[in-house]
Amino acid sequence: MRVMSGTQNDKGVVVRRSWQKNLLTFSMVFGPGLIVMEADNDAGAVSTYVQAGAQYGLHLLWILLVLLPICYFVQEMVARLGIATGKGHAAMIYERFGKWWGRFSLFDLLAVNFLTLITEFAAISLALSVLGISPFLSVPVAAIGLIVMVISGSYLRWERTVIALCLLDIVWFILAAKVHPNWAAAARSTLVPGLPPGKITSSLIFLIIAIVGTTIAPWQLFFQQSCVAEKRLRFADLKWARLDTLIGATFTVLVAGAMMLVGDFGYRHGIPFTDPAQLASAMAPLAGELVRKGLLLLMVNAAVLGTTAISLASAWAYGEVQGWEHSLHKKIWEAPGFYAVYIGCVGAAAGIVLIPRVPLQLVIVSVQVFAGIMLPSAIIFLQLLLNDRELLGERWVNRPWNNWINWTIIVVLFALSLLLAAQVMLPKLFN
Amino acid sequence: MATMQPSYEVQSFRVIHPLQDAIEKKCSSQGLGPMAITRPVRVSLMLLRGYLIAMTLLLGFYIFGVLR
Repeated sequence: MRVMSGTQNDKGVVVRRSWQKNLLTFSMVFGPGLIVMEADNDAGAVSTYVQAGAQYGLHLLWILLVLLPICYFVQEMVARLGIATGKGHAAMIYERFGKWWGRFSLFDLLAVNFLTLITEFAAISLALSVLGISPFLSVPVAAIGLIVMVISGSYLRWERTVIALCLLDIVWFILAAKVHPNWAAAARSTLVPGLPPGKITSSLIFLIIAIVGTTIAPWQLFFQQSCVAEKRLRFADLKWARLDTLIGATFTVLVAGAMMLVGDFGYRHGIPFTDPAQLASAMAPLAGELVRKGLLLLMVNAAVLGTTAISLASAWAYGEVQGWEHSLHKKIWEAPGFYAVYIGCVGAAAGIVLIPRVPLQLVIVSVQVFAGIMLPSAIIFLQLLLNDRELLGERWVNRPWNNWINWTIIVVLFALSLLLAAQVMLPKLFN
Repeated sequence: MATMQPSYEVQSFRVIHPLQDAIEKKCSSQGLGPMAITRPVRVSLMLLRGYLIAMTLLLGFYIFGVLR
């Protein structure tokens, strides 16, 4: 194989130019940052962003711009910790904060992840039902496909497949263009913060918190660190891992913006919003069949991406804490516990969705509240670990400006999580 | 640095995939035990523990109430 006038021998590729070296190294490191960010645009995120557009037009676009640096700063710390230690986040909490915190973090992660998986399969079931495919066919087929994706015993095969799925989200930009948004108004709403006209309602507060909660989720911390460790990124790869994370964060926020623009079509045409599948069908006579099918299929893609990443985050974390083999490089019989957790999560969530009259709305609300409660505390541990000079030495610890930014993020997230919890538990509080 | 070793030719670079490269010695917590934390941090973590348990129970009661 020849790459960019370089030659590959038994170990590596020889290239002659510095830019070729940089480009090739980046292409080898690229992956975890994009995947963790784009997988976060899962079914719940599609629903939240499209709802934001459908109910409030372009007025909440600016929140995405605010969330971009927050996503990057948090995930950069995770990538740095993964490269420095070569271990996952759950293992680090267990080793540095003891068994209680290790088990508690693991329990919380597994619980919130499992509830999220149910919502992913619910979205697959809903979107494909609208396209005429029975849930009793779509859900088991999706579950089997998701299991086949990981059991090949190759991290790189899984990574390439998932990157391809991430890049399918480019279609969101086509859908956004097809619904002819007011680009000037979109640019203005992105750059100038503001709130929708009228009074601040509890549903608006809930939606703003949901946008924050869906853009930064606890599983992302665990996933990216384990993924970086799995890929065995080296110290010298940090700058490329940072670029990967920045590209991932930017792409994700742009895709989220495109989802809001698609939802905004419903706002402009007075189409009421119940869920993205209903909105897609209601939009079809005005926006065309391509938009309807595109939205539904992208919802399925989002759910598939979310499911594989979240299930892997659970399997990696559980394997790390149990001390089991926990690697996609291993065959299924070499790491049975790790694969059992992945398969168990996917299979059980798919099975629950097929049970008639499961209270899915309660599951969705519980996921948002649980994730909202867990996220700030998860970031606190990340922050403490990134100040652990005994473990990391001076080279890898946070700089003072890192700490200021992160403590600010933690305080804001705590305030939002308290607000969210209060609103769910006491719905009349803001009315 | 294992990433890009200058090869035998002048002005050429060998780029090795992380999974094919020699394994680096990472920062290890082996033998370190739990992190040494100051008293204010310890108290904050205790408060955080209480907060998380309380919120988890509150959410559990909420779900239980809705299901009933």
